[in-house]
Amino acid sequence: MPSLRALPEEIAIWEILVRLPPKALLRCRTVCRAWRRITSTRDFLLAHHARQPALLLLDDCTNYAKGISDSLNIICFDHRAGVATPDQLQPVARLTAQTSFHLDAALMRVGCRGDNISYYHPVASCDGLLILCVEGSGFFICNPATRQYACLPLPLGHAWWLLGMYPHPSTDEYRLLLYSYKRITDDERQDACHVLALGSGHPPRHIGLPDAVTLGLDDPHVLFRGSLHWCTSDYDGECKTIGVFDTRSELFREMRTPIVASCIDLFEMDDMFGVAILDCEKIIDIRVLQDYEREIWALNRRIELPFVEIRVQCDKYDTYIRSPFYVSVTPGDGELLVLVKFADWLLVVGTDGKLVATLHRKGLDSTYFQLKQSLVSHTFFHTQENYVVNAPPFI
Amino acid sequence: MATREAGKKMIMLKSPDGMEFEVEEAVAMESQTIRKMIEDDCADTAILIPNINSKILSRVIEYCNKHVPTTGATGAAASDTVAPAALAEDLKIWDAEFIKVNRATRFNLIQAASYLNIKGLLDLTSQTTIDTISDNSLEEIRSFLSTKNDYLPEEEQTIRRENQWAFQ
Repeated sequence: MPSLRALPEEIAIWEILVRLPPKALLRCRTVCRAWRRITSTRDFLLAHHARQPALLLLDDCTNYAKGISDSLNIICFDHRAGVATPDQLQPVARLTAQTSFHLDAALMRVGCRGDNISYYHPVASCDGLLILCVEGSGFFICNPATRQYACLPLPLGHAWWLLGMYPHPSTDEYRLLLYSYKRITDDERQDACHVLALGSGHPPRHIGLPDAVTLGLDDPHVLFRGSLHWCTSDYDGECKTIGVFDTRSELFREMRTPIVASCIDLFEMDDMFGVAILDCEKIIDIRVLQDYEREIWALNRRIELPFVEIRVQCDKYDTYIRSPFYVSVTPGDGELLVLVKFADWLLVVGTDGKLVATLHRKGLDSTYFQLKQSLVSHTFFHTQENYVVNAPPFI
Repeated sequence: MATREAGKKMIMLKSPDGMEFEVEEAVAMESQTIRKMIEDDCADTAILIPNINSKILSRVIEYCNKHVPTTGATGAAASDTVAPAALAEDLKIWDAEFIKVNRATRFNLIQAASYLNIKGLLDLTSQTTIDTISDNSLEEIRSFLSTKNDYLPEEEQTIRRENQWAFQ
């Protein structure tokens, strides 16, 4: 029988340290040599990443709203904490924009002045890595847990959209699907899709433009079974099909939505691909693909939004309840969640229609992304332009 | 609660201090380690659980009894009349009571849950320890887990600087 007072080292490391939040784990490397050695191995860091919760990533526009968009707070919302607990907001890292030399340099390259930053926000999240975009100027990749940060090298003279980020199935590379656009004359334009392999040292690789598939530039692209999926809306604003990009063959195709609707969110959760139909004001239908290849959909559940409860909860503070509502559906740590955003409120509703968490704060908005923090190191960072670690723009 | 039905398979668990516990197979199979033994046919009459004394083993069985899914042989849930949310709430309160134990017992429960591979019990028992480590100084962590600092002072400073932001 081991000592009653101590945990065996193996258990302390593989059952306890492996579950610590990244910051606490980094502190623990200073406890003793053995802990530092084992918690720095790739095996340990992968196991640690696997146990981190996938939390809702928020878009903090607080400073933007004040007209001083000089920084970005990377904040997660921990819906698991329950209503009215102070720990719901989890600040992960903070980035400054104006004092960062390389961001200024990137802005200078495209002819922007450093004091004219429009907006700094997340556009992709994958395995603890975030892609940030400064509107009209450039893309940056960072790992808020390891405090690594670098510019993404995109050729100048085009406008770029990031469509999705994915681990490439047969190489160890992280890749980006991008769309570029350039107006040559009033009648002539040049646009194309590209794949950029991080760390390859190559510029974005031109893969042409799909013939019959709309790209959905501003819609989230959901990774499922090695393909990116997004909603495609036609000119009437109706969504009849889902665009699909196969990351192996790099071919585009379409699949049918279960019904024609004007507002659909896609989600992936626990090896399940589904859609949330948000056309009705209070009722959300969740449909999941029973058979992905044959495109057979089934009604999974119907969620009724708890408006009476929301009204009681929010009327205590103000009368903003009459403001317009924005509803979205997204997974959060293995559960499907409905996010209701209105005025300064962000509410989280479970699939049983019960209010899970409420947050009242100016300037915070939901994103479609989750952040599952990771301390796993990636070699591609070192080959990127203006790579920094543990230094500005992190503050 | 359903009474023990005829035909419900029972399993004998033995602790190294010689105690025997008769439990339903479904309850024992909350442990992935035991489940694997049963599925691999390595468990005819009794299973010896090494390293877990009878006091801890009885508490582990208590946990499994409470957490085993309450589905009868017919496939109908025994909890048809109780809303799942109420059931979950009840379990949460029960768990909170269950974990009110001293540090030595908690460490033993962590070891038992790890060896027997019972995810829910491991999550429950390790959380308090995780919170303690997250909230305390290095010295307190060392004393809490009886770990010795084997760094030279200047080494410790260097490693601290590598992750300075984690100390802010």
